[in-house]
Amino acid sequence: MSGVLLALPRVQVRFRPGLALSIALVAFFVIAAIAPSLLTTQDPLKINLGDALQPPSAAHIFGTDQSGRDLYARVVYGARESLFIGLAATALSMSIAFVLGVSAALGNKLTDGAINRFIELLFAFPVLLLSLLFVTVFGAGLTTLIIAVGVGTAPGYARMIRGQVLAVKGSGYVEAAGALGHSYPKVIRRHILPNAMRPLVVLVTLGVGQSIVWASGLAFLGLGVAPPSPEWGALLDAGRTYITEAWWLEVMPGLAIVSFALALTAIGRYVQQRLEGGLQR
Amino acid sequence: MRTPKTLLPLLALVAGLALAACGGSDSSGGNADEFADAKPVNGGTISYGHEQEPPCLIGGWVQQAYIMRQFSDSLVSQVEEGEIVPWLATDWKVSEDQKTWTFTLKDGVKFTDGTPFNAEAVKTNFETWLNPKSLNPTVDAYIGEYYKSSKAIDDTTFELTLTKPYSPLLSALSQGYFGILSPKQLAKGPEANCEQPIGTGPFIVKKWNRGKNIEFVKNPDYNSAPKNAKHQGPAYVDGITWKFLGDQTLRYGSLTSGESNVIYNVPTVNWKDAKGKFQVQQYITPGRPVTFSLNTQQGVFTDKKVRQAFGYAADRKAAVESAFNDVIPYNGNGSLSQSTPDYDESLADAYPYDIAKANQLLDEAGWTEKNADGVRTKGGKTLTAKVVYPAGSVVSAEGVTLLQNVQEQAKEAGFDIKLVPSSPSETFGGKYATPDSYDAITWYWTSPTAGVLYIVWRQNLKDRPNGNNASFYNNPKLEDTIEAANSTQDEAEQQKLYAEAQQLINEEAAAIGIYTQTTSLASQPELRDVWIENSQGEPVFHDAFFAKKQP
Amino acid sequence: MKTVALKVLGAIAVLWAAATFTFFVQAALPGDRATLILNQDSGQIIKRSDAELAPVNEKFGFDDPIYAQYVNYVAGLAQGDLGTSYRLKAPVTEIISEQIWPTIFLTIAALVAAWIKALALTLLTAKRGRIPSALGSGYETFTAALPHYWLGVILLVVFAIELQLFPVEGGSSLIGLVLPALTLGIPLAGFLGQVTRDEFEKVLDQPFVTSARARGMGDFGVRWRHALRHAVLPAITLSGWAIGALFSGAVIAEIIFARQGIGNILVTAANMRDIPLVSGIVMLVALIYVVANLLVDLAYRVVDPRIEVSS
Repeated sequence: MSGVLLALPRVQVRFRPGLALSIALVAFFVIAAIAPSLLTTQDPLKINLGDALQPPSAAHIFGTDQSGRDLYARVVYGARESLFIGLAATALSMSIAFVLGVSAALGNKLTDGAINRFIELLFAFPVLLLSLLFVTVFGAGLTTLIIAVGVGTAPGYARMIRGQVLAVKGSGYVEAAGALGHSYPKVIRRHILPNAMRPLVVLVTLGVGQSIVWASGLAFLGLGVAPPSPEWGALLDAGRTYITEAWWLEVMPGLAIVSFALALTAIGRYVQQRLEGGLQR
Repeated sequence: MRTPKTLLPLLALVAGLALAACGGSDSSGGNADEFADAKPVNGGTISYGHEQEPPCLIGGWVQQAYIMRQFSDSLVSQVEEGEIVPWLATDWKVSEDQKTWTFTLKDGVKFTDGTPFNAEAVKTNFETWLNPKSLNPTVDAYIGEYYKSSKAIDDTTFELTLTKPYSPLLSALSQGYFGILSPKQLAKGPEANCEQPIGTGPFIVKKWNRGKNIEFVKNPDYNSAPKNAKHQGPAYVDGITWKFLGDQTLRYGSLTSGESNVIYNVPTVNWKDAKGKFQVQQYITPGRPVTFSLNTQQGVFTDKKVRQAFGYAADRKAAVESAFNDVIPYNGNGSLSQSTPDYDESLADAYPYDIAKANQLLDEAGWTEKNADGVRTKGGKTLTAKVVYPAGSVVSAEGVTLLQNVQEQAKEAGFDIKLVPSSPSETFGGKYATPDSYDAITWYWTSPTAGVLYIVWRQNLKDRPNGNNASFYNNPKLEDTIEAANSTQDEAEQQKLYAEAQQLINEEAAAIGIYTQTTSLASQPELRDVWIENSQGEPVFHDAFFAKKQP
Repeated sequence: MKTVALKVLGAIAVLWAAATFTFFVQAALPGDRATLILNQDSGQIIKRSDAELAPVNEKFGFDDPIYAQYVNYVAGLAQGDLGTSYRLKAPVTEIISEQIWPTIFLTIAALVAAWIKALALTLLTAKRGRIPSALGSGYETFTAALPHYWLGVILLVVFAIELQLFPVEGGSSLIGLVLPALTLGIPLAGFLGQVTRDEFEKVLDQPFVTSARARGMGDFGVRWRHALRHAVLPAITLSGWAIGALFSGAVIAEIIFARQGIGNILVTAANMRDIPLVSGIVMLVALIYVVANLLVDLAYRVVDPRIEVSS
């Protein structure tokens, strides 16, 4: 479903305080991914069996996990792998989508038809199904997650890119450029691609958040990264067992995922609005 | 027949213990007592929340043994301390050379399709189990090497001939895998028996709704309960709805909300709560406990000192108790679970946490340098061990916590433990079955007899390596000891030999014990007399009944 | 007529390609299927001898070259035979037809719940002043970001286990369907709502709405009769696209709520490389996707008869 969000044509962003908060949140997680030790002094792997399953307190603001590790430190250190999965999966997904979408839109009727069938074929493999298949090939782990999420989310984006390119191709100024005698490749390079690709910036922002959500869902099925990694999906998966006795194990990493995805969405929509405003002007 | 052995340090069954412990301590605990003296009444259907669903209702996996216990009977039953009591076989004797076993069978028993139960039927079952086309691999592991032939002398006399003496035979036969099925139905082939197997048991498989439940109805003509049952004759309840509730939070929730009358494997985090509200019982599964089997042929653990150091390096006991919330027992002995007959108690605390000893052993073994990460090195190689564990159903979330605890603890001695989860297709597909694929692996084998040592530790089989020997540890002396133990009928001698085998494995640190498999059940106060049988921890519902409130 | 035939042909091609891809991914893998079957049947993880493997290989034809197995499989498909599950020892069509209904009910319930929620929220809050609009829109964005499994676990624990408002085991009852359907429906409603709201607000600014108001039509009438009709179009498209996500979500919801359905079966089948069963389910998902999108086209025509849908 990730990509379809972008189907919305024009958006009016309303809450600016929300935007500020979103930027702060994203900045926080980016720092966590690059230099986690700036945000916590605790070791995310250090166990303390006497201190297991402690609720949030001043000493452990997110509480401790089943091995007595500080959950806040684990969420902070987990940002690196989670963000990496999000970025890598989105990059993969966008690359596939770009190739498919652009060639379909600019190709002849036969190419377009074939690619459309192929996109439909990809649609027949929802992310989860694809992940299950890939796990049997590559085994569980980071690479599998990235490939599965990347390929699984590609067809939605491919359709959008195709639509975008077609729209730009049919617009007045492209026809005008053609009429002015510019060569076709040049028109593509100079006019069609830049204009069609502008919304991609937004897609990327949104895609990263959605990919993280997907990847953590796969961890839930036991298809995630190996312990003791504090990747957010792995934290959620481990927390599920203890949820009735230690709610924080499930709620805190969940909030990290949701707030990060939400913040990216808010920023993405803002950027989208600005871009479209720019286009209209 | 065998007589009871010396009392085990820990009884396998602690049924009712919790009840006694919490009686009157709070109001809900008192609740349970109100039915304590209730008399059996007929009627009602038990809603049972189980965990995993097997691919077929019969077979060689413990999940199948659980189910087979409901609709089929075995020849004998095992009670505490390894004693064997009559079931479908009322009596048995073994020849002087211990190769010919003669069973006297119960008369007048019928399969639920009307086929009579007789010696010919038993013969058909043995032949079906061991026929390559319909092989039961677990039956094969127990008796394949020993089985020679079977013969129906007359309707009630069955004769089993072995190739060599095998004293754990009766224990093996007591397991659910060895439930006797209708030959008429068996003749229809594996497909028909996968979904609709027919036995002589207290319940009949009415319908298997895949992904949801199995509906059992009672066998109204049941007349073949084992001697250790609480009553003879048909079950008190009308049937069982055997539900598959994989998620443990949901499973426990279905008990607290009253949707289940009884559930399997209470989540360890909820154990304390369950003890206060329900009747709980825990069975400590005998056989090979969950261990680290250390690869003795390739990698860092080829050096015995390193294996021993790994044992000393981690506080396994604290790690187990913490990860399993003090519910599942630590098992220091790496070869047998504490509830197995002939378990050597002196090894209960094998390789206790001793970081000084671990360091000393590693120094002696030449792992004297440490790199920047604190990992020991030797000749440029790091002391890295790849520890594979079957992810998903086999090692629970708590088990993964335990492994992470050990991983972190062993760091102090300079071990770099890499945990590698193995997906089910990798696990069962044999990806981790060869010496080059891991340094250590966690696995177990539930078995009612110390004879399981033979399955796990014998050397190469006639045509291939013994895959169950996950340490790849080949020692003729060990194999001879186990074989001698398996063959002798002298119990003192047998116990001594099994103890020797356990000590040898321990001394070599070929396997390091971690914890035991367990079966636990929690049932509503009014559902009385559910019990756990003793060979595999199969839940038994034949004696169960819904008590009426006393006026 | 020609377009219909083309569409059907295209759909068949997609189904065939999906099955082929699945077949080869699972068949060409390293690791032995016969070993997998034997070990799974006995709870062991060992290497098997040739003598043990031979009967299994013979039974399932694993010894044949891959292409022969494939040709065999496709020949079966052409006759409507999806094969027999290695693991469950039952025909794939039987297993699927037994498991598909709970999943379909769940998916439809989720879709309906999502639509009701999205429409209600849009009608109530869109263009109702700054605060309600912002609240509605913020809520939609929030719910759209909720991961299924997280939402599901929390709904289960809070509403079924702690508050006991709903049964813990969903089963086949209608009330048991509520929590799983909400698990899928709440995030989807967020997505649908976002789209509908944007369209809705745009439409409310259109001249024909102003003229309707000028004719004296009440606010509710305007919203219901005019604006909504236009605003739901993109959301209809979205619903077609959402089938895949719904399916993924259904797998997760079935596991969390221990529901019968295709999801649970699929996870084990893929784990055990039960090729006929996995391929069968893949084709089914492809089929559902194709059919759903045909329905979307149809819905488009119903809602807005002027629209000529190009394929």
